[in-house]
Amino acid sequence: MSEKKTTHFGFQEVPVEEKAGRVADVFHSVAGKYDLMNDLMSGGVHRLWKRFTIELSGVRRGHKVLDIAGGTGDLSYKFSKLVGPEGLVVLADINESMLRVGRDRLTDRGVAGNLVVSQADAQYLPFPDNTFDCITIAFGLRNVTDKDLALRSMLRVLKPGGRLLVLEFSKPQSELLSKAYDAYSFKLLPFMGKLVTNDADSYAYLAESIRMHPDQATLKNMMLDAGFANCEYHNMTGGIVALHRGTKP
Amino acid sequence: MVDPTLSAAATASLEAAINKALHYDPATRLRLQALSGKSLAVELHEPLSGNKIPLCCHFDDDAIRISTHIDNPTTCLRGTLPGLLMLATSDRVNLADANVEAWGNTALLADIKTIASELDLDWEEAINEWLGDVAGHQLAEKARRQFRWLKARGQNGKRLLSEFLTEELRAIPSAAELQQFSAQVDDLRLAADRIQARVERLIASKQKLRPEHPHSSSQPKA
Repeated sequence: MSEKKTTHFGFQEVPVEEKAGRVADVFHSVAGKYDLMNDLMSGGVHRLWKRFTIELSGVRRGHKVLDIAGGTGDLSYKFSKLVGPEGLVVLADINESMLRVGRDRLTDRGVAGNLVVSQADAQYLPFPDNTFDCITIAFGLRNVTDKDLALRSMLRVLKPGGRLLVLEFSKPQSELLSKAYDAYSFKLLPFMGKLVTNDADSYAYLAESIRMHPDQATLKNMMLDAGFANCEYHNMTGGIVALHRGTKP
Repeated sequence: MVDPTLSAAATASLEAAINKALHYDPATRLRLQALSGKSLAVELHEPLSGNKIPLCCHFDDDAIRISTHIDNPTTCLRGTLPGLLMLATSDRVNLADANVEAWGNTALLADIKTIASELDLDWEEAINEWLGDVAGHQLAEKARRQFRWLKARGQNGKRLLSEFLTEELRAIPSAAELQQFSAQVDDLRLAADRIQARVERLIASKQKLRPEHPHSSSQPKA
């Protein structure tokens, strides 16, 4: 008799095939107020984390950029300006609701011509090998069922010399900050979620999924195992968030 | 190392301030379009702590982007804060003795300097946005008059102070006296160098003339 494979969904263990559906439910629920909640939860600091990600991306005119888990299109908007009319930005997300919000928002802001929207699973990216100069995944990797598979898929579609940037919550470097952060995430976040989106569970999942996500060194090793070279990470806001960068050899 | 969140906040604020200022100078914005696609990286060195602070400026079609990271900038500048400030504010166009090193396309530096010298912000427009055209114009006129008066007093005061210190008080030498003194020091240094070279040549020739065994018993006594 074969044992059913499981993975974590926050602090719960769920069958592997169920995780994607559960994550999808979370994001269907929060998509409409995702940006508002991001600003409220981080005090606007998520914009600085994303700004630093763009700085390290090295993206310039004519580049092809894949923004995985791009959601409401923050990074895609900036990238579309950087790559210019001769470049290309693909805004990809597995979640239809998030993608719809992102696509509408970018259309409203006048982004057209160099932007393509694609509903795609990070584990099985539907693009040819060696396509992109840069791939970013911001606050998305922890929701992916098989992170190693996703990293290998990203490596495949990157051009040699191309960069992967993973912006994700991580492990605070100070014990004091860690305790304050725990109190904030497990008590205040679900309360804010309940208040703004009437959905405390989704924000409880957010806090739990952050704790279950690999720490800085582990994720760096996962990137090296997947085949990336020159892997490094930058802690931001005391390690609450880390930006990992790797290059396809 | 500074937390990237802080450096991103600083560069975002600086970028917003610069672009807001450029909003009030369309002519400069137009001139900057010629630099589109180019970038300048400045690495600030603090000799005491050994810290390096990178700051990069990217020129886009319609704005300037500031960051702390850049790949393959068009031009790189490295130096101390006083050196870089001196270079930015003085009229000099060469980097000799400025404690500043430059790589890449140095013509970009000259272009930036020219554009910066022609910067003419319409700050009256900025005031008008807040106070309205009438009140804004009156405030701007008053400010302009005050500025002109202060500038004239400043220039006059500087000249008078200089004359008082050099001519009346004789506390410091005048520029001409200092220049003459420097020239004399240079002459003295050259003369000393020449004497040193002669003495060395004399010592060398004396050593050549000296016999192989100066302390042997066959040497005649003095």
